[in-house]
Amino acid sequence: MSDTALLIENVDKFYGPKGHGVHAVKNLSMNVRKGEIIALLGSSGCGKTSTLRMIAGFEPVSDGTISLAGRQVHLLPPVKRNVAMAFEGYSLYPPLTVRENIAFALKAKRLSQAEVDEKVAYIAKLLEIEDILGRYPSSISGGQQQRASLGRALIRDADLHLLDEPMGQLEPQLRALLRGRIKHYIKERGLTAILVTHDQTEANALADRIAVMEGGVLQQFDTPQKIKERPANLFTGTFVGEPPMNVFEASISGGNGSLSFGLNEGVKLDYQIAAFSPGVQAELTKRRKVVLGIRPYSVRRSADGVKARVAVNQWLGDQTHIAADFAGGTMVLVEHDRTRLAIGEDIGIHLDPSSLHVFDSETGRAISHGKELA
Amino acid sequence: MTTLQLQNITKRYKSQAVLDDLTLDVADGETLVLFGPSGAGKTVLLRLIAGVIEPDAGKIVIGGEDMTEVDAEHRGIGMAFQNFALFPHMNAFDNIASPLEANRSSAAGIREGVEKVAKLLKIDHVLSHRPKALSNGQKQRTALARALAGSPPVLLLDDPLRNVDAKLRFEMRLELPRLLAKQGATVIYVTQDYKEAMALGDRIAVMSQGRIRQIGTPEDIYNTPADIDIARLFGDPTINLLTVIPKKDASGVYVELSNVRVPLPSMPESVVGKECVLGLRPETIVFTEPSAQGAIPVTVEAETPLNEKTVTLLLTARGREILLSRPAGTPGPSSGPAAIAVNGAAAFLFDKESGARIATPATTTNRNGEAA
Amino acid sequence: MESTSTPERILRGIALTLVILFFMFPIFWIFMMSFQTNETILQIPPSLSFTPTLSNYMALITGKLTTAAGTLDIAFMGNLGNSVFLSTASVAVSLLLGVPAAYAFARHKFRGSEDIAFTLLSFRFAPPLLVLLPLTQYFQWLGLSDTYIGLIWVYQLICLPLILWIVRGYFEDISADVEYAYRIAGHSWFATFRKIALPLAGPGIAAAGLLAFIFAWNNFVFALVLASASKQPVTVGALAFVTSSGIQYGQIAAAIVLSIAPTLALALYAQRYLVEGLSLGAVKG
Repeated sequence: MSDTALLIENVDKFYGPKGHGVHAVKNLSMNVRKGEIIALLGSSGCGKTSTLRMIAGFEPVSDGTISLAGRQVHLLPPVKRNVAMAFEGYSLYPPLTVRENIAFALKAKRLSQAEVDEKVAYIAKLLEIEDILGRYPSSISGGQQQRASLGRALIRDADLHLLDEPMGQLEPQLRALLRGRIKHYIKERGLTAILVTHDQTEANALADRIAVMEGGVLQQFDTPQKIKERPANLFTGTFVGEPPMNVFEASISGGNGSLSFGLNEGVKLDYQIAAFSPGVQAELTKRRKVVLGIRPYSVRRSADGVKARVAVNQWLGDQTHIAADFAGGTMVLVEHDRTRLAIGEDIGIHLDPSSLHVFDSETGRAISHGKELA
Repeated sequence: MTTLQLQNITKRYKSQAVLDDLTLDVADGETLVLFGPSGAGKTVLLRLIAGVIEPDAGKIVIGGEDMTEVDAEHRGIGMAFQNFALFPHMNAFDNIASPLEANRSSAAGIREGVEKVAKLLKIDHVLSHRPKALSNGQKQRTALARALAGSPPVLLLDDPLRNVDAKLRFEMRLELPRLLAKQGATVIYVTQDYKEAMALGDRIAVMSQGRIRQIGTPEDIYNTPADIDIARLFGDPTINLLTVIPKKDASGVYVELSNVRVPLPSMPESVVGKECVLGLRPETIVFTEPSAQGAIPVTVEAETPLNEKTVTLLLTARGREILLSRPAGTPGPSSGPAAIAVNGAAAFLFDKESGARIATPATTTNRNGEAA
Repeated sequence: MESTSTPERILRGIALTLVILFFMFPIFWIFMMSFQTNETILQIPPSLSFTPTLSNYMALITGKLTTAAGTLDIAFMGNLGNSVFLSTASVAVSLLLGVPAAYAFARHKFRGSEDIAFTLLSFRFAPPLLVLLPLTQYFQWLGLSDTYIGLIWVYQLICLPLILWIVRGYFEDISADVEYAYRIAGHSWFATFRKIALPLAGPGIAAAGLLAFIFAWNNFVFALVLASASKQPVTVGALAFVTSSGIQYGQIAAAIVLSIAPTLALALYAQRYLVEGLSLGAVKG
């Protein structure tokens, strides 16, 4: 017994004739461990839905193999793959009540009525749908339908649970609570789950590892922490994280033990060259143009920092978002306290070398994160 | 001076009141956010103000003039729609030009006006495109540009960021205040996103079922919500609500959570013995040492990061769920037993039956417990 | 985007061919007949090899029909002209009346609006023969029988409900917000109707107009009873080919070819525009 639940190897997906059709998924390889929650994250058209459909069996692979719990499944029909799925469009059976919809997933297991009732009651309580169990899908709200559909998928024992945009329609007041409960439920039972989403907040909240896709190519497959701290390229860096990463074009100059990033409007960020590791020094000094990325929460205010002018100061109850005019662009800062700054006030921006993400200006590939090479 | 007054507005559809005797004053140059769940009547209200539907009763006064009977085209209003409502058979330029054409401006004047506002919204490079060829973000900006183009003294923005992706929404949330300030218009902004409401509103009017439930600054709404429903609508994660019966001893009013005494220093004695709901914002709860004074033992169920915060789902000994949020990167347990401390001074107390918040007699306190 | 396998493509091709054969064969056969004499047409078994003749068309165009019993005068070209005039004028009047009415029904729900709209539609339910007798009487009193105006009036029974109901649907499909946006931008309701509603419903109006034209063109009963030889359209005029010396199949075929030619041409021309217009889309966000 290996601990690999799902193994995707060199999978390609073409729509239309090879060569001049659409190459939706490009040479995708992924390894999902048993008990892991994985998020497939990307904007529409990035290939995440095609990938999901190939794993579920609704779409044949054009090339490559998919193995589930140690057996190759990519040629099997969906019903033989032992995969549970929650559909984006809910796909509840209209003539069945919510209770029957959820219990339907247990049909194949020939459980006693008491066991079925108990399981349904448990999952219904978890998803806050106890009082609508007797209703029909057409008479409940979108958020309730989504929860019912989630219940139908989660109640099953399967080698893999596929959740397609599982929380997009959930009532905002329930979202944080249900995220916690669902994560706990999946972890407690050791289920393996893949959720497909365009919402990086969802992916960060639930996933152990996030697979960021764009243009059919897997951009990065790593823990949320790593993706936040060490994004592989500019796309991942700006796609994951809210508020999004601040991005500035910079030209590099140096000498005399210092290293400077020149931004627009003559703004210069000066650092001791020793603040960077030798590898980073070598990479940076041989380039002229780079792209600088700074996470909003790692921007500090200090009196002797680079001048910026407050343009917007928004308090959201538990965070303050500040946007300041900086180097011909906008620098966004996030602070966890209530910060009161007047519009038009001058502030000093301090960017610690450890908070700098440097990207290649041509390819967008990460060069360095803080002191270290990418 | 362009103020806006709505006086006793009622609108019914098939004998069901969508707006029920609603009265609202908006000051000159103010941005008022109408916030509430779908079906609250926000969109209907905007349309009444715009003049495309008529109220069954009540008066609409714009800039001191009774506009109730005036046609939409003569009210001096700009409006952006949630679904953009661009004219599909016209290019972006003609879309934006439509309010200027109505003013019978010269061709040169129109061109100048369109280009100015297009530049402001960074869509000057797509003016020749039809809506079909525009990206979602560009459509949204075109719709906004069209609303702004005629420099109307009153701007109605109907959830304009609803249909754009998270990143664009964030970008526009920072950009809009600057734009609106430049415009100097009186703005009514409709949204279902509490963050947008707090970020953009000088004041927020919380609506539900055709009525305004509470109106005030973002601080008022967040720190002194009128009732449980409003407290639940603002804040992510949602406020924790625990049913309690306050008690009293020599040192004052308190409640017991898992047999741990949590003092409620600012609560009136009248609550003692009454069934109440304790409201604890997730960010006011902190992890503490199990041995510390007032520590409440809990079990960590799951940790779910949320933007720059870490949200933890906790279970008390009695099986009640509590959400705690703290800045990302600060230390805290991610599983197993733990202990939390609750700041009673920052807690809300609601009447269980009516849902109304129980006013604190002293001063209103903000969430950090400092007197405001 | 579906990838299709070869057998699927072949099957689809066969099915399409069968459907086309089924619908196109009568037209093809008529077309062949129009170039044959009565003798070759009636020959048994029928044969595809014949010497084509233009005599049928000549007879129609010159208006002289030569049969075994002698020469007959027929007014086919006049009838064709009548058809064109009657159908065009009827559709024009219907559009003029029906499009604004459709807009009103789509945008302004007032008490009884549904009933009125339905009453208009119900004109299409009654069998024409039922209303013909009283209509003939009225027309004689009013001096409208055997006039173009009278016929165009009666043709409104056919065209108006059609245009009203189809165009109304198109108007309803236009998001009200789009029109509101134009109003709020400072334009009158009439400008909004002209600049927004009409162009956006354009494809629908064209489709409805085309359909109404075809229905008017194909009408038989009204014209049969209410028009004399000088005002009657081709549908009625074709009766002239049933002569005392037998049915002139060749001429009938030629007459059919000539009479479907205008509608066919119109449909082919409009189809391009219709498809283009319908895919304009983007009305909703």
